[in-house]
Amino acid sequence: MSVLPSFEHLRPADLHEALDAISFDDPVYAGGTELLLAMRSGLLRPSSLIDIKRIPELDRIGQEDDDVVIGGTVSHAAATADPVVLSAAPVLPKVLAHVGNPRVRAFGTLGGNLCFAEPKSDVATILISLSADVELASKNGRRRLPVEDFIIGPYTTARNEGEILVSILIPPTADPMVYEKFQTMERPTVGVAARLLEDGSLRVVVGAVGGAPEPFDFSSVHEVNSGHIADRVEVIPDLTGSERYKRHVTRVVLGRTLAQLEGLA
Amino acid sequence: MNPVGVVTQVNGREIARSVPARMTLVEFLRDELGLTGTKVSCELQVCGVCTVLVDRKPVSSCAFLAVDIDGREVTTIEGVASDGKLHPIQQAFIDHFALQCGFCTPGFVMMAVALLEEVPQPTPEQVVSYLEGNICRCTGYRSILEAVLDAADRLERASP
Ligand SMILES: Cc1cc2nc3c(=O)[nH]c(=O)nc-3n(C[C@H](O)[C@H](O)[C@H](O)COP(=O)(O)OP(=O)(O)OC[C@H]3O[C@@H](n4cnc5c(N)ncnc54)[C@H](O)[C@@H]3O)c2cc1C
Repeated sequence: MSVLPSFEHLRPADLHEALDAISFDDPVYAGGTELLLAMRSGLLRPSSLIDIKRIPELDRIGQEDDDVVIGGTVSHAAATADPVVLSAAPVLPKVLAHVGNPRVRAFGTLGGNLCFAEPKSDVATILISLSADVELASKNGRRRLPVEDFIIGPYTTARNEGEILVSILIPPTADPMVYEKFQTMERPTVGVAARLLEDGSLRVVVGAVGGAPEPFDFSSVHEVNSGHIADRVEVIPDLTGSERYKRHVTRVVLGRTLAQLEGLA
Repeated sequence: MNPVGVVTQVNGREIARSVPARMTLVEFLRDELGLTGTKVSCELQVCGVCTVLVDRKPVSSCAFLAVDIDGREVTTIEGVASDGKLHPIQQAFIDHFALQCGFCTPGFVMMAVALLEEVPQPTPEQVVSYLEGNICRCTGYRSILEAVLDAADRLERASP
């Protein structure tokens, strides 16, 4: 068995204490499902870990103004089972129910998924399609930005040192939406979200094949061309496939997604 | 590095220890408590052999800190049988020959316990999808599926 490098462990009682403790060398963690693996493989060597999953205000789901608010440490399983999430964004529980395996879903969080920004994510893709925002807190205050701007590239976000993701905000929608993914291993090779907006326009978000989810907008369903998207989207070849293979799979999954969307509309 | 105090219940037994922050749950169970029924393999949360329950939820104990069980309840394979009698899931695994070398079995049984608590009468598709993250290298998946479905029936018959 390999051993984790040593570190101090902190368990702040509230967000204020957590914001005092966080720094580049002293990251926060919730489920630890990504962080502990990165530490074991020697990629990260923090001097302390700050446990934020026992901070009550981060672990709740509610409604604020018009948005559904998912706290920064809410697990995939908790969000999947929540009636507020189901009624405001019915597509989300369907996607979360197929993230990783039941152990990852029981303790892994949506916040941790976004902050780690592993490109092979379903969560970022579907949240961008839902036009969700994240709220970040630091000692200097709070700011809110779209998930689309938060995820910058592989393992890179707009989060500054000293910031904690406190919530994910989703505007409720009844728009027809479909998410389809293809995967042969633990994580998706490609994930595609398609949403038919009220004005008849269409937004397609392609995730997991490139460094960050990529949105494509069309004025109507008739404008979409799967082959065109599959040719243009950024693709990074890796152990899950060559560029040619991934473009092919992207085109196939796009076709399935759009066919399903037509059935809904 | 400062050790951290942990007060917990493991298989119903109160336990208080001081542990290094970097100690994983599986190291705590095997090395501190001598509960060697829980096995370790991939250390990536993809094989499922190290599955235990924390507050009745399944977790990969190889990638979970021991300090995080403070104030929580842990159930391992040693805590599944009661009064010297195998749990219906364990008995169904034996009756269906759902194990060959046995290395993956504790993980499969713990996952089945978690599944049947959440969904008492799952469809075959639900069982397969729930156990997708567990690997059996002897590839006895069909008999494992049959055992879990049969255990669900046995549990239903046994409940008043
Ligand atoms: C086997 C496996 C399969 C998976 N399959 C999928 C899949 O199919 N689809 C998918 O989308 N994902 C998948 N994942 C990823 C999974 O969703 C993430 O591992 C999980 O959601 C991360 O949450 P966490 O709380 O465990 O993060 P942690 O490991 O606790 O943290 C991850 C990172 O984010 C930082 N962080 C965490 N929370 C905050 C916060 N609130 N504010 C600031 N920084 C924070 C931490 O410092 C760390 O750097 C898989 C993971 C595994 C291990």
